[in-house]
Amino acid sequence: MARVLFEWDYSSYPGAKSYPNLFNPIRIGNLMIPNRVKYAATEDNLNSHDGFVTDADVAYIRARAEGVIGGMCFMQGVYMDQARKGQGYVGQAAAWDDKFIPGLKRLADAIHSQRAIAGFQLMDCGRVGAVDVPYGHGPSAVPQRLRIFRPMHEMTIPEIEEMVQQHVDAAKRGVTAGFDVIEISGIVGYLISNFVSKYTNRRSDKYGGDLRGRMQAVVEIIQGVKKAVGPDIPVGIRLCAEELLDDVRGNTPEESMQTYVIAEEAGVDYISVTAGWQESIVPVISRDVPMGSWLHLAKRAKQHVKIPVQMAYRLFLPEFPEKAIAAGELDMWEICRSMIADPLMPKKVLEGRPNEIRHCVACNLCLARLFRDAPMTCYINPMCAHEHVESYYPKPVAADEKKQVMIVGAGPAGLECAHVAARRGHEVKVYDKREELGGSLLEASRAPYGDDELMTCVTYQKTMCEKYGVEFRLGTEVTADLIGEEMPDVVVLATGPVYAPLPSAAADNPKVVGVLDVLSGKAQVGDKVVVWGNRKPGIGVALYLAKQGKKVTIVGKEKSAGFDVNPSFKWRYMIYLRQNKVNAYNDCDIVEVGQSELLVRTFDGYRFPLQYDTLVLTERRPNEDLKAAVQGEGLQLYVIGDALMPRNLSSAVHDGYRIGLRI
Amino acid sequence: MAFDAEKEITKLWRDLGSAQSEVGKTYMRWRRAALEIAGPGADPTEVSLKAARIIGAEFGRSLLPRLNWLKGEEAWLISLANQLAGQWATQGAQVKVEKGANPFELFIKWERCPWPTFAKEYDVPMEEDVRCCDAILETSLMDINVFFNVEYHIETLKAIPRGQGVCLRRLAKRIK
Repeated sequence: MARVLFEWDYSSYPGAKSYPNLFNPIRIGNLMIPNRVKYAATEDNLNSHDGFVTDADVAYIRARAEGVIGGMCFMQGVYMDQARKGQGYVGQAAAWDDKFIPGLKRLADAIHSQRAIAGFQLMDCGRVGAVDVPYGHGPSAVPQRLRIFRPMHEMTIPEIEEMVQQHVDAAKRGVTAGFDVIEISGIVGYLISNFVSKYTNRRSDKYGGDLRGRMQAVVEIIQGVKKAVGPDIPVGIRLCAEELLDDVRGNTPEESMQTYVIAEEAGVDYISVTAGWQESIVPVISRDVPMGSWLHLAKRAKQHVKIPVQMAYRLFLPEFPEKAIAAGELDMWEICRSMIADPLMPKKVLEGRPNEIRHCVACNLCLARLFRDAPMTCYINPMCAHEHVESYYPKPVAADEKKQVMIVGAGPAGLECAHVAARRGHEVKVYDKREELGGSLLEASRAPYGDDELMTCVTYQKTMCEKYGVEFRLGTEVTADLIGEEMPDVVVLATGPVYAPLPSAAADNPKVVGVLDVLSGKAQVGDKVVVWGNRKPGIGVALYLAKQGKKVTIVGKEKSAGFDVNPSFKWRYMIYLRQNKVNAYNDCDIVEVGQSELLVRTFDGYRFPLQYDTLVLTERRPNEDLKAAVQGEGLQLYVIGDALMPRNLSSAVHDGYRIGLRI
Repeated sequence: MAFDAEKEITKLWRDLGSAQSEVGKTYMRWRRAALEIAGPGADPTEVSLKAARIIGAEFGRSLLPRLNWLKGEEAWLISLANQLAGQWATQGAQVKVEKGANPFELFIKWERCPWPTFAKEYDVPMEEDVRCCDAILETSLMDINVFFNVEYHIETLKAIPRGQGVCLRRLAKRIK
């Protein structure tokens, strides 16, 4: 008879009818899990740099535990060695000593307070560890190809035995702290995966050689942990179904499936299927990878093992796991970034509130921050990592005094500000000269490689605005006169940017067009296109046109194209520019524009001509059109988003949220 | 449009030449500084070889992200040889990669190289120049061999500083 920790009855919820498989219990080892939802262990860099759990992390996890509505909620993976070779993130929690147990207990208690199953993950970061010490450890000293990672030290047999024991001891501490499930992390380049892969394990002793040898340390860990925690605590493992390391001679997919079989033989109670390493040159989870692309790996895993199979990896919509579970190709829906973007995402699915979900846009800013020793943040969710701040979470603090708020601009900045201010009790009206919500995101989301997903942000904001009574005045151009007539208490200018003319191009040159007109299909575009501006808008429109077969060249002032795109996504754009044969001349100016040719000057003075049929302007500057009018009326004024300083969607949303709180 | 292509190219070419020349001169100036600090007891060639090994190791590591096994070992090897040749080409050498007798053997031929000229200008023995190039190439292969789990080596067959007209090196899989 399996243990039941918390009773849940989902039968009255609409989501349980729409997704009957997701809200159906499952047995994992000797434990019944009320549903198929799992918040997968995710680093957040919120803990102290010596491994102690903080209030911020407890609040962060409590929010996710609420979101899984009785399912599994995992805290981040802990490192287990005092020497800190296994520590991969500056704010990673530790479990190498009993002194960490009280902090870990706070996390387990926070998860249990939401009647969810508390998961504890063991994660020695191996090859991608040693964040604060000079050398990492691994089965072999294979050099790093990414310079951000430390040189490697080859572990001796006693060191491997010690590492196995560290896993066992840490698992015991997890159970003492109150966790219900133990998970061993063997993914993306962490120590376990280093042992498993023939790319990083070149040993010829019992911990190397063939696949069985390379799995030996893993088997010892599984068996040691199982024995230490007893039969009531399920033990799972996360392992790669495909390392995607063919370029450096990693394991084959067939070998990876054999690792699942060996892990099952060793006694694990479930497998969490993953794909790729941090070193892989194949994109796995960025927006350009279509949702559901990796589900075939879970299906393959199911064909090899009998224990439950779990998976995350671009399953942002419940339809994907629901269908896969129904087809017998998956057992549990792991969620990671989607619950960074919206901690209550699965709860909203259950409650039939899909439009209230703030969807992850798969930009990987969260990862980029972690790799740069910064605390977790989210591109699209301003509350992320602020769950411990009372004015932010669970709902914005109420306003002291109700005000009439006029928001000019129905783009992401204006809409975010609108629903937050309205929720706090203000009377909010949003004006836009367009008939549609979304501002320039309407055009920007037409860029290729998944940018259409950006519009999910507007869908969410619209729903929230409607929920909190925001009034829309669309098709209305705000003028100084209108402000004078309305006389609100507060004006928020979220008017977006102004697309700056190019000084060297004549204003009446018919070959010079704006980026929005191109993306909306209003502008006629010739075969040879020069895009002025090498930030994200320039890259987006360049790829949009290149996909139509145009010969596109980017010229921009920034030292590198896409410098405003976070590094965890920028590499994708660089590859797509190359694949689409888009040349980028960076650190350059356009000094002369003729009828069919323009002249580019590099930062150090060299000049060269480029032929063009169409010149697309993408450079932006702040929009200050209504500032003087508002100030003249003596009204309280806020300027947000691109109207303040042209940046990106994230800045628009975060600006909107903060000003929504401040009014 | 006021644009004189010849003028622009001439300026660019001259500036490239100056930059290449400065690379060699800067190395030689640092060599002199290192020898002055090392004192009269130091063997100048040993000091240079130490520098060459550091340069080679750094260079080898920088190639790791640029090499790719996906198209098989033969393509990988050609890419490696081209990267090695390219390093000298950016410094002003003329270098070619030629196929050998088997797929795992390539020849890299320097038909012109600025380094012997720098050596002469700074009174560096010609043999030291050859040995430094050898050391750079050998050490650059060290991490590459470990990373890709292969065993390639490079040997010098001819050298310009030895009066043989070209530098010819054989890059090949080590026969066990």
